[in-house]
Amino acid sequence: MADQVLEGSQPVDLAKHPSGIVPTLQNIVSTVNLDCKLDLKAIALQARNAEYNPKRFAAVIMRIREPKTTALIFASGKMVCTGAKSEQQSKLAARKYARIIQKLGFPAKFKDFKIQNIVGSCDVKFPIRLEGLAYSHGAFSSYEPELFPGLIYRMKNPKIVLLIFVSGKIVLTGAKVRDETYTAFENIYPVLTEFRKTQQ
Amino acid sequence: METSRSCKNCKKKTVIRDEIGTLVCERCGVEQEFDNFQSHFSGVDGPQGTFIRIGSSSSKGDYDYKGLKIYHATQKIEEVCTRLGLSSASINDVRRMMEQITEGELGAGNWFNIFIGACSYVVMRKNRGTSFSMAEIAAELGCELHELGRMVIRVINYLNLNNLPDFDIIMSFERAIKYCNCFSSNVPVEKLDKMIKVGRLLLNCSVKWFLTTGRQPLPVVVAVLVFVGELNQVKVSIEKVAKELHAGLVTCKKRLVELKETLVKAAQALPWGKNVTVKNIMQNAPLVLQYIEMKSSFKTGEKMKFCEMGGFDLDEVVNECLKKDDFDIDNYITENYSSQCFERESGNSDSAAGTNFDNSDTGKILLEHSSNVYKKFSSGNDFVKSVDRGGEDYSNKAKKDFSLRMCNKTWTGKSDLSRKLFLEEILEKNVGYDNMPPSFVAGVLACKRRREKINAAKQRINKIMKPSSSAPGEQKSLTLVKCSQDRKKIKRKADAMNVDWEDYIIETLLLHQVKEEEIEQGHYKRMLDLYVFDSAKTSDILKRRKIK
Repeated sequence: MADQVLEGSQPVDLAKHPSGIVPTLQNIVSTVNLDCKLDLKAIALQARNAEYNPKRFAAVIMRIREPKTTALIFASGKMVCTGAKSEQQSKLAARKYARIIQKLGFPAKFKDFKIQNIVGSCDVKFPIRLEGLAYSHGAFSSYEPELFPGLIYRMKNPKIVLLIFVSGKIVLTGAKVRDETYTAFENIYPVLTEFRKTQQ
Repeated sequence: METSRSCKNCKKKTVIRDEIGTLVCERCGVEQEFDNFQSHFSGVDGPQGTFIRIGSSSSKGDYDYKGLKIYHATQKIEEVCTRLGLSSASINDVRRMMEQITEGELGAGNWFNIFIGACSYVVMRKNRGTSFSMAEIAAELGCELHELGRMVIRVINYLNLNNLPDFDIIMSFERAIKYCNCFSSNVPVEKLDKMIKVGRLLLNCSVKWFLTTGRQPLPVVVAVLVFVGELNQVKVSIEKVAKELHAGLVTCKKRLVELKETLVKAAQALPWGKNVTVKNIMQNAPLVLQYIEMKSSFKTGEKMKFCEMGGFDLDEVVNECLKKDDFDIDNYITENYSSQCFERESGNSDSAAGTNFDNSDTGKILLEHSSNVYKKFSSGNDFVKSVDRGGEDYSNKAKKDFSLRMCNKTWTGKSDLSRKLFLEEILEKNVGYDNMPPSFVAGVLACKRRREKINAAKQRINKIMKPSSSAPGEQKSLTLVKCSQDRKKIKRKADAMNVDWEDYIIETLLLHQVKEEEIEQGHYKRMLDLYVFDSAKTSDILKRRKIK
């Protein structure tokens, strides 16, 4: 079991991941302050891969291919970077966007870079009886199949929201650091095993 | 000093307000008419001015805006709740809930209608009363489902109703079958009662079989309604029922197929189960339901010993069936159980032909009827012929034409499954078949398919990287060596035809040393971004290869 390999070429650290499952990060959202006022129209006219429709949204939407991300650049100089698959990628992408803005003639800096949200997912590989889970963890969960097929579990510590599906697929969102995602999953895993469906 | 008003006596614009707020003429001293001026409105610190009142109900007091708003809101609550069929007690609950949330202000406008709908829905769920679904309420109010849904969630969160009972799917079904135009108009009451029992059984089974978990309940209700209708020769179209219940037609059709497929799987326990398909499940449904009912009547671990009670042991029959390829149910039953059944029938064979297939008290199945049912079934289905070898008369006792409808009539619906059960009770029941959630099964199959593709990709890569060291056991390499040049070309072409975009991605990921377990998960975009289109990682790999 200790030799079990899941992510990359790294064996799973069972001390950190007793379940043997490591959630994979799917999206990182970060923000950065370029610390200068921006002329969005000028950016949209000069930059490639940029779109700007002030009637629809008051920011320039810019995309780069490596790391494949999308940035929302506001006139205040604030920027939101989405779509990265790791924290490093998110920072690298934000730096690339800042460089593009600099090259367009704005005195852009790279201030207050912060990861705002990490979305992860994993598969526990067993079906889950959502009705039972919703009933016994009513204080934390919301299960309304008329509106959404999954159970929404709001964990208090760490403050993470988990979407739990009957197929055993789990989505974890709201983390600022990846360890929060891992901790949340390790907390919920024993609960999920309680409500696992086994073939009789 | 001139003012805007003129005195009613001297006509001079010298009207002023004195210390107590009364209008008087500064010149002639005549008191003017009252102009609704209030020096202190709603307390000492309140606003000052002339207020206009709307409407009046009595000489004692006027309706102000707030009073009128609350009056209209109360009227609206009663109207909407009555339309939804809520009792007066429930209407009071709704009003109290709304007053609690709005701190007695209630409200007006479009949002208020949605708010009434949301509170009505929560009260219905809370009191386990009339079971309207959100979709039905949204249609009644003429708003979008998501608008209502958002409001429901806000109400639940605001009132901290954590353990609100689940949506009652069985009650929803019962209400639908009683009030749905397709059924209520052309079904006699006794038949309707039986249909409700069958419906309950199917819904309880659907819960157990994960057909309702994580799914909208209404399409399942529609599927069960249509199934039950078809089973009882009630002509109903799924389109009409879905429209009447405000459920998505495509989803309803999908749920109906799922229900039939699961019943087919459950029918595999019957001796002729392998011949039961989605197409002929309606003919077999009465027997399958009886089998489920019987199974559920026994506690876990208790073996069905029908033979001891004059019937036959279905488990034993199934086991025998599985042992033999050319199993014949009738021969088997005649050999093993005929004496017991004849004893039970006590010589009244003619009348027995028309009697119950299933005795509800003991869950017995009589030989004659099972034989007849099977015969009837086999005569109507070509694919049963392989099992039905001899074609001889199975039992001379049964001469009457046995119809499946008759069999259906024998279904009593006295088992627990025909009642409304709690989730725990449903899960405890053994219905003879255990199903995994369709989404889980789909996930497992997708993983399996990807695993096969990974293996195939590895083989292709190995073949290209090490053409000489191809293992002797490998079929493809052997073929390539042996075959002529033309055949090689054809094969290559065929291979190329079989390789799709997914195979290319898997190959690329394998070449970038991505773990197979990760590829199996199928998040290709993520993996491509993380491992392939990442210049830092790619250059690392290239460096390592150069060093090697």
